[in-house]
Amino acid sequence: MSPKRYHPLIMVLELFGLVKSFGFIAIYLFVIRFGSDSGFTYYARIGFVLVLALSMVSIFLKWRTNKYEIEDESFHLYSGIFTKSKQTIPFSRIQNVNRRTSFIHKLLSMTSLQFETSMSGNDASIEFKMVTKEEAEMLEEMVKKQPLNSDELSLAKDNEELPETKAEDNRIVHFTPTRKDLIRASFTSLSFLLLIPVVGSLFSNFNDVFSIEEEAQGLLSALPQTWWFYALAAAIIIIASVLFGVVRTFLKYGNYVIASDDNRIYISKGVLDETAFSISKNRVQAIEIIQTPLKRILGLAEVKLTSAGGVGIGEENLEINSLYPFLPVQRAYEIIEELLPAYSVTNDMKKLPRRSFWIRLLRPSWIWIIATITLFIFKPEPFDIEIAWWLISILLLLITVIFRVLDYINSQYVINEHFIQMKSGSLSTTLFVTKRDKIIEVNVTRGILQRQFGLATIGTVNRSKPVHHSGIDDIPDELAALFVSWYRERKQEITIK
Amino acid sequence: MTAEIHNPTNKLSPEAKKVWRITGLIEDVIGLVVIAVLLFLDHYFNWVDWLGWIFIGLAVLTIPSVIWTFVRPHLLYKSWRYDADEEFLHLKFGTITEKHELIPMTKIQAVTTNKGPIMKKFGLMTISVETMGSSHSIPCLKEEVALQLRNEIAQYAKLKEVE
Repeated sequence: MSPKRYHPLIMVLELFGLVKSFGFIAIYLFVIRFGSDSGFTYYARIGFVLVLALSMVSIFLKWRTNKYEIEDESFHLYSGIFTKSKQTIPFSRIQNVNRRTSFIHKLLSMTSLQFETSMSGNDASIEFKMVTKEEAEMLEEMVKKQPLNSDELSLAKDNEELPETKAEDNRIVHFTPTRKDLIRASFTSLSFLLLIPVVGSLFSNFNDVFSIEEEAQGLLSALPQTWWFYALAAAIIIIASVLFGVVRTFLKYGNYVIASDDNRIYISKGVLDETAFSISKNRVQAIEIIQTPLKRILGLAEVKLTSAGGVGIGEENLEINSLYPFLPVQRAYEIIEELLPAYSVTNDMKKLPRRSFWIRLLRPSWIWIIATITLFIFKPEPFDIEIAWWLISILLLLITVIFRVLDYINSQYVINEHFIQMKSGSLSTTLFVTKRDKIIEVNVTRGILQRQFGLATIGTVNRSKPVHHSGIDDIPDELAALFVSWYRERKQEITIK
Repeated sequence: MTAEIHNPTNKLSPEAKKVWRITGLIEDVIGLVVIAVLLFLDHYFNWVDWLGWIFIGLAVLTIPSVIWTFVRPHLLYKSWRYDADEEFLHLKFGTITEKHELIPMTKIQAVTTNKGPIMKKFGLMTISVETMGSSHSIPCLKEEVALQLRNEIAQYAKLKEVE
């Protein structure tokens, strides 16, 4: 294959971006200052047209010069109008694949594709901002076929007659939300509350134009002053909010599909703006199960897969690495086991010893101390209550203590043969599960107080973007020692190349 | 199963204490000079009242800081241990909070040595190790020891894991 240009429609996308970034300036220069003939406007207009023309030419030249080539199981990217550069990225470096079909893509029946590597900086991903669906399919397929390690490579060479498309069609769908799930999700996500700022800003916008408030004064007196009128108005607003929340949730999570085949996991979602994420199973660095207080009450949880590659498209973090954020907890555990048979999440975790409860109460809270000193100096008097400053201080202390107690109750951990599981958090809890061979570094710290109590803090570092630190406070010394010797045994699982 | 984390065995050069004390003292002196200048400016330009008190408070705090400058190197030297074998780099250090760090050799991406003017005078070097997400250093090793350790780590770190 010889170097190929990207799809010409990419220029449409770039032009659209140009309109977005230059639109305001254009309106200012040509609409708002329409009649102006000051020197500033004159030169600004010339400058604007020049910059715009240059940008358009550069869009065209970029399309002409930027090329890609696929050879030897690598991407070769050519770019640069004046300074030419060539970049080679082997398929084996790709951590995950993100795909996004935005509204513009839909109109043109195209899609965008992004291959993420674990490198940092500008070269971290290979982006196809505009590709036909067929080509996206083909590219993804090509990267997927890449053998995962040298063992499989030699195996594949031995049986060359094996039909290449063997693993293609046994994709299993593990989860797709039912209508009931979505309605529950729309309430849990509290998205119906979002109508309030929307209505608020709409109202103030209208107000600027039509000055409703003044007219409403007159209108208000004409309104029937009966209770049922207000009840009706309230009911309409509530129903509208709920409908808004439900519609928003349906648009965002409606098409959620979690699927997998032998080697990969696929997550896709969205109705108007579709995104898809796919990752090879053995590239999953860790799993996080996150529960906000509301989700805990309703028995729901969010499951996130940690990848060493990026999980956003462009500047946006789209959270596409999240399995459905409103999974019933039990179902979440089952799905993890179905998706990643190599992982096993257990409910049977160790609690912290009693002495870590006391250490948490004894540990000085610097935030509280500083806050109290500040309160003491300034002695604020909200609501004209003279002694309020020490009441605030006590309240703050109480909150601190409650948070610490909650964290103590929620903290649990377990070290299995190949896994470590750590859970902590006060209001929202996070359960972190990772395999020994995916941990790139461990540490153990012991402060003065901890040494008196025979306790230690353990920490792990995992690959992600940026690296993911996780850990648990105040576990017994001997378990920290066990943790270190457990990590020393990681050679059992790793293969050196 | 061991009840204690196995401690690494290698120590830093005893000269480390001197280097830390000298650098600590230089920092203290710089701090005092800055405070003195500020106090002078405060006096000269008649700044707000309470600002002067803050400067005096800072000046008073220099006294415990100087004491700590003398005590800390001793404690830190006593706490520092490191080990490097073909599998792991193990560091242990810390005066108030004790920290163990265990880094697999396969995850080390770069190792460098460097020395400042004071360390140079005592013939010492610092080794820095870079991994994918962090950097660690072993300060104040004798030059020969540092260079040998650097080469050893570089040798061990050549191997990489299949991802």
